[in-house]
Amino acid sequence: MSDAAASDPTASDTGAASSQPWSGLRIVERSGLCSAYATRQWAALGAEVVVLEPPEGHPYRQLAPFAPGTSAPEGSLWWAFLGQNKRSVVVEAEGDDERRLLAAADVVLGEPPPGQTLAGPAHDAQVVVSISPFGARGPRANWQGSDLVAWASAGLTYVTGFPDRPPVSLAAVNFAAHVTAMHAMGAAMVALRVRRRTGRGQNIDISMQQANAALHPEVGVPLVLDDGVHRGRSGNRRAISRPFGLYPCLDGFVSIVIVQPAHWANMAGWIQEVTDMEAVTDPAFSDLAVRWEAAEFIDSLTEQLTLGATKHDLFVEGQRRNIPVTPVNTVADLATDPHLEAARFWQPGTHPVVGEHRFPGDLFRGDSSWWHWTRAPLLGEHTDDVLSRWIS
Amino acid sequence: MVELSIAIAAPSCGRMLAYFGAEVIRLESQQHPDVVRLIGSAWARTPELAPVFTDTSPYLPEMNANKRSVGLNLKAPAALAAAKRLIATADIFLTNYSTPAVTDLGLGEATLRAEFPGLIYVSLPAFGSDRAMPYYEYISWGPNQAPLVGLDELSGFPDQEPAGVASFAAPDYFAGLHAFTAVLTALEHRDRTGQGSAVDLSQFEVTVSALGPLLLDQQLSGTVATRSGNRVTWYAPQGVYPCRGEDRWVAISVKDDAQWTALVGLLGDADLTGDFDLADLADLAGRHRHHDRLDEAISAWTKGRSAEEAAARLQHAGVAAYPTNDTEAMLVDPQLREYGWYQTRPTLRFPQGDLFGGCAMHLSDTPGRWDRAAPSAGEHTIAALSERAGLTQTEINALLDAGVAFTPPTPEVVLKRPYDHVLGPLGLRKVGS
Repeated sequence: MSDAAASDPTASDTGAASSQPWSGLRIVERSGLCSAYATRQWAALGAEVVVLEPPEGHPYRQLAPFAPGTSAPEGSLWWAFLGQNKRSVVVEAEGDDERRLLAAADVVLGEPPPGQTLAGPAHDAQVVVSISPFGARGPRANWQGSDLVAWASAGLTYVTGFPDRPPVSLAAVNFAAHVTAMHAMGAAMVALRVRRRTGRGQNIDISMQQANAALHPEVGVPLVLDDGVHRGRSGNRRAISRPFGLYPCLDGFVSIVIVQPAHWANMAGWIQEVTDMEAVTDPAFSDLAVRWEAAEFIDSLTEQLTLGATKHDLFVEGQRRNIPVTPVNTVADLATDPHLEAARFWQPGTHPVVGEHRFPGDLFRGDSSWWHWTRAPLLGEHTDDVLSRWIS
Repeated sequence: MVELSIAIAAPSCGRMLAYFGAEVIRLESQQHPDVVRLIGSAWARTPELAPVFTDTSPYLPEMNANKRSVGLNLKAPAALAAAKRLIATADIFLTNYSTPAVTDLGLGEATLRAEFPGLIYVSLPAFGSDRAMPYYEYISWGPNQAPLVGLDELSGFPDQEPAGVASFAAPDYFAGLHAFTAVLTALEHRDRTGQGSAVDLSQFEVTVSALGPLLLDQQLSGTVATRSGNRVTWYAPQGVYPCRGEDRWVAISVKDDAQWTALVGLLGDADLTGDFDLADLADLAGRHRHHDRLDEAISAWTKGRSAEEAAARLQHAGVAAYPTNDTEAMLVDPQLREYGWYQTRPTLRFPQGDLFGGCAMHLSDTPGRWDRAAPSAGEHTIAALSERAGLTQTEINALLDAGVAFTPPTPEVVLKRPYDHVLGPLGLRKVGS
């Protein structure tokens, strides 16, 4: 295609002048919920991610919460976070500009309506990632999806929650969408490695159901067929051993997960100090199966311990004793967490509508400055810039 | 790639790389086997199967399909030297051992990268690899992470304590996915610059990042997000509704006004219009105001139907819905069957094939595959030390004789899963394919 301006797929020195791993890579993201979490990272690692937005803006621009006193399309905190590092382009749907932009991309990611597919590669070297609720083929390929529906179809909702209440999910976090996004980006990166060798792109089929089914092994089909035990909901303690799950404390809950015998020895010693109950140190309890048989006894003593302190103090003291104890954190707890502070997890940000804030930055650390963060774009902010640079 | 790993986070990353053709060599220990090996299988807890117990866990291929296993007791200097000869030929070293543990073994980042400058060194411990950080020495198991990173607080109903994401370690898989893309990024960097790199990925930080919008909201408005059952502000009604049968449910999301109209058409007068002023429900805000009553009306409709029927009718009308699959339903889910999600491949202990789930990344021209299920511990010790590390047979024998390298005990003992007879009828038996 004559107006294809994608980078030479087999070049080994693309962006060599830049320190960012993906500099020079051109990505077009068509509006949708299930790639944004990952392309935010890809863009921070140097790829140029152009979001093709409809005139009213990307769906994430419409989602609450909004920064105080603001509204769509610029005030959504979903967009302020997931739109970071990207460029916003608004062009006529299916018009010439859109066609040329798509032709100039190395990678196109999109979420066509279920049952439809994205147009195939605009040139031989293009990687096209189609994301759908249930996959591009099969009897339910045209079924509608959502974050909640994805978890339900992946077997995850059924095993989450209390046995006497309906199953629950993490739909309010869009966690299923983010898991899907990581699969979409990973697959596209694999295809780019193939392209480096062959010069050719390809189509990629990603479904929310399968991406989240990848989280299922601990309650999975091979396990359940092997031991014949149906897996249901067990509330916030797992039906494996004790202590294994959440325990109430003075200001919330802590998580205690004892698997290793050494950890149990430390835990039993702690319980004995607090409760003066000698029986808990009986060597028989070092077997996690025995602790499961005595679950009520172990839980009762554990709660006597945990109800005497705050989640922070239990966390610090438990870890001092070499016991896997963690607090059940709220977002407010995380905002003041000393480790996140020291690790420079937070980075300062500013946005003309959202204002000054700090955001979770580098997803991992390397030995060079791979990450570069910029604010989320205003709607259509980069239309002229991208059109002039991508379409000559 | 050489992998020194435990449980889920790093193994799930290695398994995806193996799916796309990487040769992934796991270093495995007799003294400290992977916890997944220690879990074993319920039916294998017998004296006669004791020697092969650590090959029987049904989790093994879920985490380690297609990998090779080299048995080395790394605390012995000779075994460590052999491991380093393997690493010398590797592109990537991947570990989720704690940083103190891997450093004590002599396989820390500084050591390996000094010896092998082109190496991509990827570590994903719970709390990062920087000893100056407050939680550097802290320990956590997979199920400790969801509470720590804020997911548990957000799970469950507002009138109850947190339900917890307790049945599976979501942050482990999430970290594994981040490690996968980090490896591919480091490979891209190496292709462009010729340089290796270090990737230090904190499981804690990665999953906290997924709460970005809620963290921003807390800063800017002081709102502390908490659990909301299955409700979200942007769709209504949304929930998991009871169906006919015991513990049967259907998940429903009404995503826009058109889907709402479709739902009204489906439920009809009996369930909705009698009690409701439909004009008041025409927009999202109205449907949120009446969400409790809407839930009752929807439940009245779903209760009389199987989850499959409810989902099919809703989807036929254009409403997002799905049966809340339990594990047994996953086995016969039509979409997962269409994609051959559950598959068997042979392995040393299960020559007729062992069962595991698939990979969601479908590439049209260069699809991934696993040819084998999980290795026995030490199955490839001799082959890999010979082919990859360049050790002579004499050198390998010396390691084996000294007990610092090992191969699988009683390799002649082969096993069958108790469910083998159902795999054929389910179309899941594909020996050697």
